[in-house]
Amino acid sequence: MKRYLIALLIVLLPLSASALTADEVMKKSQAAFLYQGKDFKARVMMKLISKSGQERVRELTMLRKNYGASGGEQKYFMYFFQPADVKDMTFMVNKYPAKDDDRWLFVPAINMVRRIAAQDKSSSFVGSDFTYEDVSGRDIEDDTHEIVKEEKLAGKDCYVIKSSPKAGDVDYSYKQSWIDKADFLPVKEEYYDRRGELYRVFTAEEIKEMKGFPTVTKRTMKNLQSGHRTEVTYLKADYNIGIEDSLFSERFLKQPPKKWIE
Amino acid sequence: MRKFSLVHFSVNHPKSVVLLTILITLVFMTRFPRITTDTNPKHMLPANSDVRVWNDEVDSTFALYEDMIVLGIVNEKGILNKDTLGKIQRITDEILNIKGVAARDVNSFPTITNVTAEQGVLKVAPLMTKIPESDAEVGSLGKMLYENPLFINRIISKDGKTTAIYVPLEKDANGKEVADKIKEIAGKEKGDEKYYVAGDPVARDTFGAEMFKLMAVFAPIAGMVMLIVRYLMFRDLFLSVTLMMDAMVSIIWSMGLLIAFGFPVHIMSSMAPVFLMAIATDSIHIFNEFYFRYKEKKDKKTAIIETMNAVSRPVRYTALATAVGFGVLLFMNIIPVKVFGGLVAFGTVMLRVLSFSFIPAMFTFVNEEKIEKASRSEDIEFSRTSQLLKSLAGFGTHKPKATVFAGLILFVIAIIGLTKIVVNNNMVEWFKKDSEVRIADRVMNQALGGTSLGYIVALSNEDGFIKTPEAMRYIEGLQRHLEKLHIVGKTSSVADYVKRINLVLHDNDPKYDAVPDTKETIGQYLFLFGMSAKPSDLDNVVDYPFRKANIWVQLKTWDAQAMRDVIEATDEYKKSHPVPMEFKPAGIAYFNLVWNDEVLYDMLRGFIIALIVVFLILVVNFRSVKWAIVGYTPLLFTILLIYGVVGYIGKDFDMPISVLSCLSLGMAVDFAIHFISRFRQHLSEKSEVRSQKSEDAKNLVTDALLWTAARPGKGIMRNAVLFAASFAVMMFASLTPYITVGAFIVSMMLLSAIMTIIYVPALITLLQGWLFCDKCEGGKNKF
Repeated sequence: MKRYLIALLIVLLPLSASALTADEVMKKSQAAFLYQGKDFKARVMMKLISKSGQERVRELTMLRKNYGASGGEQKYFMYFFQPADVKDMTFMVNKYPAKDDDRWLFVPAINMVRRIAAQDKSSSFVGSDFTYEDVSGRDIEDDTHEIVKEEKLAGKDCYVIKSSPKAGDVDYSYKQSWIDKADFLPVKEEYYDRRGELYRVFTAEEIKEMKGFPTVTKRTMKNLQSGHRTEVTYLKADYNIGIEDSLFSERFLKQPPKKWIE
Repeated sequence: MRKFSLVHFSVNHPKSVVLLTILITLVFMTRFPRITTDTNPKHMLPANSDVRVWNDEVDSTFALYEDMIVLGIVNEKGILNKDTLGKIQRITDEILNIKGVAARDVNSFPTITNVTAEQGVLKVAPLMTKIPESDAEVGSLGKMLYENPLFINRIISKDGKTTAIYVPLEKDANGKEVADKIKEIAGKEKGDEKYYVAGDPVARDTFGAEMFKLMAVFAPIAGMVMLIVRYLMFRDLFLSVTLMMDAMVSIIWSMGLLIAFGFPVHIMSSMAPVFLMAIATDSIHIFNEFYFRYKEKKDKKTAIIETMNAVSRPVRYTALATAVGFGVLLFMNIIPVKVFGGLVAFGTVMLRVLSFSFIPAMFTFVNEEKIEKASRSEDIEFSRTSQLLKSLAGFGTHKPKATVFAGLILFVIAIIGLTKIVVNNNMVEWFKKDSEVRIADRVMNQALGGTSLGYIVALSNEDGFIKTPEAMRYIEGLQRHLEKLHIVGKTSSVADYVKRINLVLHDNDPKYDAVPDTKETIGQYLFLFGMSAKPSDLDNVVDYPFRKANIWVQLKTWDAQAMRDVIEATDEYKKSHPVPMEFKPAGIAYFNLVWNDEVLYDMLRGFIIALIVVFLILVVNFRSVKWAIVGYTPLLFTILLIYGVVGYIGKDFDMPISVLSCLSLGMAVDFAIHFISRFRQHLSEKSEVRSQKSEDAKNLVTDALLWTAARPGKGIMRNAVLFAASFAVMMFASLTPYITVGAFIVSMMLLSAIMTIIYVPALITLLQGWLFCDKCEGGKNKF
C-alpha cells in the first residue's frame, strides 16, 4: 500500500510543483531575485540611454545584507565611481517590510550626510528607468497576484503572473511577470499604466551562477512612452562575503572601507 | 487667334461645351471627400528649413514636447483652500488617464517636483502628495509654494488666485480630443473656479474650424451676395447664374486639383474660393460689352463674336497679370503661400478658358427678349452710373494739373504713413479679442510667466562645462539680464535647480541661495536632484554630457519682435561678458520670429518681381513703355495710399498684409488695362472715321476718354463693386487675417477703380504730347 502511495506521489509530484499559488510563486521569486544569500556585493554599470541615443553612465558598488528571512529587513550600501564628479558619493538604504525606507546620502563636496525622504516608491532610481522599488523590491502583500497562464519564453517554462496593486500608490495599474519555473528569476515584466497601456518593460538578458546562486547579470528596463532605456550590467558579483553590520553607519558612509567598495 | 476659334466653336456647339464643363467639374468633385487641413504654423516653413531642423534638434536634446495644453484654474478667492486643491487633485488625476497625454511629465500640484528640507530630511518629491485636510496643512503647502522660486509664476500666480496644469502630449496624440476631454473634466467641477484651456493644439483646432467655416459658409455667402448684386446690375437671373457657375466651376477645379495632389488646405488656400469668386468678376467686362453690343446689333451670335473680339485682348492680359501676381508667390519660401499662389493662378487661367468657351456657349441659350429688356438700360447717355463716371473722368480730363497736384500731396502723406509701418506678426492676435483662445492667453499672461516660449541654448565645446561655477553663474547672470526686459515674464534654467538644492541642503540659510563654488559640488547637487526627480526635470535644461544648457524664456506676448529683443539682449550680455559659450535661440517664439522675417523678405522679393512682371505685361499689352507707365501710376498710387493708411492706424505689417501686397498688383492693374486698351481701341476706331486735324485730335482724345469712362468704365466700376461685395463678407469672419484680407481688398479694389478713372484721364490729357508722339512719327498702327 505504501509503495502505491509513494508511486502515486511520484506521479503527482510535477503536478504538485505546478500547483503553487500565485503568491507562492512571487515569494519564491522574491527570494531568488532579491534575497539570495546572506549578503551580496556587485560592481554595477548602469547605462541611461535616451531616445536619441545620448548616454549617461552610473558606476557603483552595491552591497546588500539581509536581516531576517525573505521579504524581511535589508540594508543596502552604494558607493559611486561614476559620473566622475560624484566619485565618493555614498548612499545607504534601510529597507523595512510594510514601512517606508530610511535613506541617507553623503555629499562629499560639502562633506555632509543627509537623510532623504522616501515617500515616493515609484520615483526614478538615480535618474534611471528603474524605480527604487524595482531595485529593492515590493512587499508581496501590497498586490493581489494571479497566475494568468504558463508559457515558454526565451526557451524557459514560465509562470505568467498578473499583480495588481491593492492601493493606488504606484504608477502602474498592473504588472505581468514571466517567472522561470526552474530558478524563479523574472525573465520579463510588463508594466501597464493607469490607462491600461503597456509602458515599461523589464527583461533579464543574462543569467549566471555565482556561488551556486543563479543571478541576473544583465537587465534592461525600457520606457516605451519616453523611448528612454536603462541597461544594467553586473561587472562582478559575489555572495556570502561576510559584510559587517558596522558598515551601515554614518561614519562609513563618509569613509567607506576600501575592501568593501572595490 | 486660337482663342477666336474656341469662341466660335463654343458658340456653334454650346451644348457639348456646357456638358463637357459639367463632366470635368463632376470628376473634380469626387476628390472633395478626401480634403484635409493643416493648421500647424510650423508647416509654414519646409521641414528641412534651418529653424525647423534646429528646433527639432533642441526638442530631442532636451526631451521637450512639441505640443502642450495648459489648463488655467482661477479662483478669485484664492486657490489655496481645501476645496480648490481637491479639485486640482481630481482634475490632474483624470488628466493623467487621458489617452495621448504624456502622463509622466504632466506638471501640476500633485505631480510637480519639489525640493525641500523638513526637520533635517531632504525631500525631492511631488509638491502635493495628498489633499490637505486642515488649514494648517493648507498653510504649509502655501509656504512651500511661495518659498520655491521655481513655482512662482509657473504653477502659482503671485496673488495666489491662479494655477495651471501643464499637459504635454505624445507625438501621435490628437490634440483636439485631449483638449475636449480636459474641458469635459473641468466642466464637471462646480464652484467659483474658472477654467481656461490654452496651448497650440487648442489654437490650431479653432483655426481649422474657422477655415472650414470660411470655405463652407463665407464663400457661399460671398457667392450669393455677388449673385444678388449682379442681378441688380443686369436684371437677368440667367446671366447672373452663368457668371456664378463660371466662378464655381473654376473653384471646384482648383480645389479638386489641390486635394487630388494630396495638399492639405492651409489658412491661405482656404481663402482661394473667395479670391476666385472675385477674380471671376472680370468676366463682367464680357457681359457689360455684350449688352452694349447687343443693343447696337440686335443679333445674339454677332453680338457674342463682336464682344469677344473687343474684350479678348484686355481680358486675356488682365488674366495674365492676375495669374502672374499669384504665380509670383510660387517663388516664396512659405509653403502655404506657395500653394495658395499656384492654386489661384491655376484657377485664374481656368476662369479665362471658361470665359472663352463656357460663357459664350451659355450666351447662346439666353432668351433674346430678356437681353433686349435688360440692355435697354445700358445707354451711356441715360445711365446714371455712366454719367457719374463721366464726370469723375471729366475732372481728370479738364483739370489734370489740379488732379495731379492733389495726388502729389496725398502721395507725400502716404509716404509719411509708410515710414510708420511696424513689421510684426502675432499668431495669437489672429484670433479675435473676445475669442476663447485670446481670453485664455490673456488670463494666463496676466497671472503667470507668459505663454509664448522661447529658448536660449548655451553651447560649450567641452563635456561637463555646464557644471562649472563659471557657466552656472553666467547662465544665472544672463537670466537676470533678460528678466529686465518687460516682455520677459519668467526664465528658468539648470542654475535655478542648483541654487535651490544648495539652499535647501543648508536649511534655507539665505547665504546659500547662490551657485556653489566648485564643479564637484554642482555635479553632486545635480546628481542628488536627479536621484529622485523626474528624469525630464533635468533633461529639459541640460543635455546628457553637460555641454549644453537650455534657458527657458517665457514671453508675455506672441509678438515676433519680443524674441528679437531677447536675442539682442543676449548678444549684448555676451559682448560685455565674454565666455567660452555660444548662445542660440530656439523654440516656438524663435520660429515665429524667423518665419516673420522670412515672410517679409519673401514679400519684398515677391513685390519686386511682381512690380517688374506686371510692368512688362503692360508694356507688351500696350506695345509701349509710355502707356505702361500711365497704366502703372494709379496702381502704384493705390498701393501706396493703402499702406500709408496701414501705417497711420498702426496695424502691424503681418503675414496676411505682406502677402496681399504682391497680389494687389496683379489684381488692381486690371482696371488700368481695361481702361487704356479700350480707350486706345476706341480712339483708333474714331480717328479712322474722322479727318485728322490737330485741333480735332485734342477733342478726339477728350471725347474718347469720356466715352471710355462711361462705357468700359462702367464695367470697371461694376467689377470693383462686385469684387468688393464678395470680399466684404470676409470682414465678418472671426479670424483676423480673414478680416484684414477682406478690408484690404475691398478698399484696394474701390480705390484703384476710382484712381484709374480719375488719374488715367488726367495723365493722358497732361502727357498726350509725349504719349502720342510716336504715333505721329510711326503711324496710327501704334495704337
